[in-house]
Amino acid sequence: MMAIWRMAALAGAVVIVCAGGIQVRAHADAQGRPAQRVVSINLCTDQLVVDLVARERIVGLSRLAADPVLSAVARRVDGIKLVRGQAEEVLALKPDVVLTTAFSTPEVVALLRRIGVRVEVIDMARDLEGIRTAIRSVAKAVGEVERGERLIANFDRRIAAAAPRSTHRPTALAYQVNSLTAEPGGLMDAALDAAGFENLARVRRLGPAGRLPLETLITHPPDLVVLAHDPQQFRTAMADNLRHRAFRNLLQRRHHLYIPMPLWLCGTPALAGAVEELSRVRASLMHAGVGSPKAASAREGAGDASAIHQ
Amino acid sequence: MRKHAQRALVVALCLLVALAFAGSMMLGPDGLGLPEGGDALRLVLVEIRLPRALLGLLVGGALGLAGAALQGYLRNPLAEPGLLGMAGGASLGAVIAIHTGAAGLLSFALPLGGLAGATIATLAVVLLAGQGSVPVTLILAGVAMSSVAGALTSLVLNLAPNPFASVEMVYWMMGSLNDRSLEHVFIAAPLIMVGSLVLLSTRRWLDALSLGELAAQNLGVSPAALRLRIVFGAAMAVGAATSVTGAIGFVGLVVPHLLRPFVAYEPGRLLVPSFLGGAALILIADIALRLLSPAGDLKLGVLTALIGAPFFLWLVLASRREFGA
Repeated sequence: MMAIWRMAALAGAVVIVCAGGIQVRAHADAQGRPAQRVVSINLCTDQLVVDLVARERIVGLSRLAADPVLSAVARRVDGIKLVRGQAEEVLALKPDVVLTTAFSTPEVVALLRRIGVRVEVIDMARDLEGIRTAIRSVAKAVGEVERGERLIANFDRRIAAAAPRSTHRPTALAYQVNSLTAEPGGLMDAALDAAGFENLARVRRLGPAGRLPLETLITHPPDLVVLAHDPQQFRTAMADNLRHRAFRNLLQRRHHLYIPMPLWLCGTPALAGAVEELSRVRASLMHAGVGSPKAASAREGAGDASAIHQ
Repeated sequence: MRKHAQRALVVALCLLVALAFAGSMMLGPDGLGLPEGGDALRLVLVEIRLPRALLGLLVGGALGLAGAALQGYLRNPLAEPGLLGMAGGASLGAVIAIHTGAAGLLSFALPLGGLAGATIATLAVVLLAGQGSVPVTLILAGVAMSSVAGALTSLVLNLAPNPFASVEMVYWMMGSLNDRSLEHVFIAAPLIMVGSLVLLSTRRWLDALSLGELAAQNLGVSPAALRLRIVFGAAMAVGAATSVTGAIGFVGLVVPHLLRPFVAYEPGRLLVPSFLGGAALILIADIALRLLSPAGDLKLGVLTALIGAPFFLWLVLASRREFGA
C-alpha cells in the first residue's frame, strides 16, 4: 500500500490511501436506477470503474488513467474525458457519483459534498482481500453489484491457478527507483506471497518505504530480483541505482523479472497479472533447483560461481 | 617558519584524508568490514565503495577549494559556491541534461550541463555584485540567482513526465553519494581536476590581491584574467561535482574559515589545505551518515548543513562585531 501511496504522491496527482470506516452509501438514485454519470478522480478507482461500468456511463476519469506507465486500463479510456480532479472540472461533468480514495485531495471531496455531489471514498487495498473489498465497494457505488462479484470470482480463479504447488519459498526482492523495496503489507508483497515467494524485505524487516543499500543487495542477493520499473524507463537521477554497474552485473548473475507498474501500483484485479508472472518464474526457478534448501546450501558452498544464470 | 607550519598542515590534512578514505572503503551498510568471496568483494569494493570514496574526496575537495578561491577573490568571507548560486545553477544544468535525455545519449552532457549552469550563475552574480562588493550585495545577488535556478529546476522536474521527478528535487537540494557508480567518477573527475588546477593556478594572484587591487595590478595581476580563471575554474569544479552528487551545502563556506588561521590569513596559501579539508570533511560526514542511517535515507547535505548552518550564524555574528554594525 505504501508503494502505491508513494507512487501516487510522486505523480503529484491523485493519491490513494486506506482510511478505515468510510461507508459506501446508496448505490442507486431515488428511482432505484444505478448512477448514469460516473466520474472517478483517482487512478486506482479509475481502473475499477473501467472494469465495472459500461463505457457510456463513464463521463470522466483522472488524467493518469490514460498513462500507460501507470495505468492498466490506459488503452481502454479513449474518448473518455480526462480531468485533473479539481472540483470545478468535476462539477462540469454533472456526475451522479464521484469516486475517489481517501487521501486524494480531501479538499475536493469536502467541496463537492458541500455542493451536494455524491462522492464515494473507496478504501484502497493493501492485500488481496482488500482488492475484493475495493471491487465490492465500487461495484455497489455504481450499481453493478453482480458484475463486481463476477470480477472477484475471475480474480480469485486467476490467483488460485497461480498459487504455489509446493511449500518451498524461494526469496525475492522487488528493487525500485531510489533503492526502495516492496515493503511488507504492500501490494507487491502480497503478490510475492501469493506466488509463493519469500519477500526479502520482510525477512530483513524493512519498514514502509524501506530501502535496501545496493551493497547489501549485492552481498545477499535474493533468488529472484523483481524489477518494479524498467531501468531505462525513467530519466531521473533517482533511477541511478537501477543503472548502477554493480546492479547490472547482479542481473546478469541472478534471475530477474520485470513487472510493469500498472500491474501492482493499485489494488485492482490487475494484480493477478503480477501474481501469474511471478508464479510462472517460480515454476521455472523450482525446475532449475533454485530456492530449494539443497540448492541453497550448494550455492553457499560454491560462492557465486554456481549462481544460476537466467 | 611559516613554510614549515604550512607543510605540517598539508601533511596532517593528507593523513586525515587518507584515513577517511580508508575508513570509507572499509565501511559497509552492516558496519565495518569487507564481504567474503571473490566476485562479491570486487563488486562491492570497486563498483560501490570506491566510487563513493573517490567522489567524496573529489567533490569535497572541489567545494572546499572553490570556497577558498571565491572568498579570496571576492575578499568576502561569505562567498561560497552554494551562496553564489553556483550549486543551484549546476543542479539546474544537470537536471536539464538528464530530463531532456541529453545525459542518456552522451554521458558527458551531465557534467557539461552542470558546468554551463554554474558558469552562467556565477558570472551573473559576480557581474551583479562586482568585485570587493559589500557582503549584502553579493549575498542578495547570490540569493536571487539561487532562487531563480531553484525555481527553474522545480519547473523542469514538474514538467517531467515521470512520477519520480518530484523526489529528485530533494536530491538536488541536499546532495548524496548513494549509489554513485564508477561511471559518475569517470565523467565528473576530469572536469573537477581541471577546474581545481585552474583555481590552484591563481594562488600568487590571490595573495597579491589581498594587498589591494592597485597593488595587485602593479604586481602584474590582470583583473580580467584572474576573474576568468576564478569563475571558470570554480564553475568547472563545482559544476561537475554538483552534477553527480547534488548540491552539498556549507562545505565551501566552512572549510576555508576553519583553516584560515593556520595559513596566516594568506588567501593563496589557503587553497591546497582547503581542497584537502573539504575532501576530509565530506568523507568523514559520509562515514557518519552511513553509521547513522545505513539504508541511505538521510542525505549528505542534511549533515553538512547541520554542521554548517550554526557555523554560518556564528560567522554572521562575528562579522557584525567586526564591522561594528
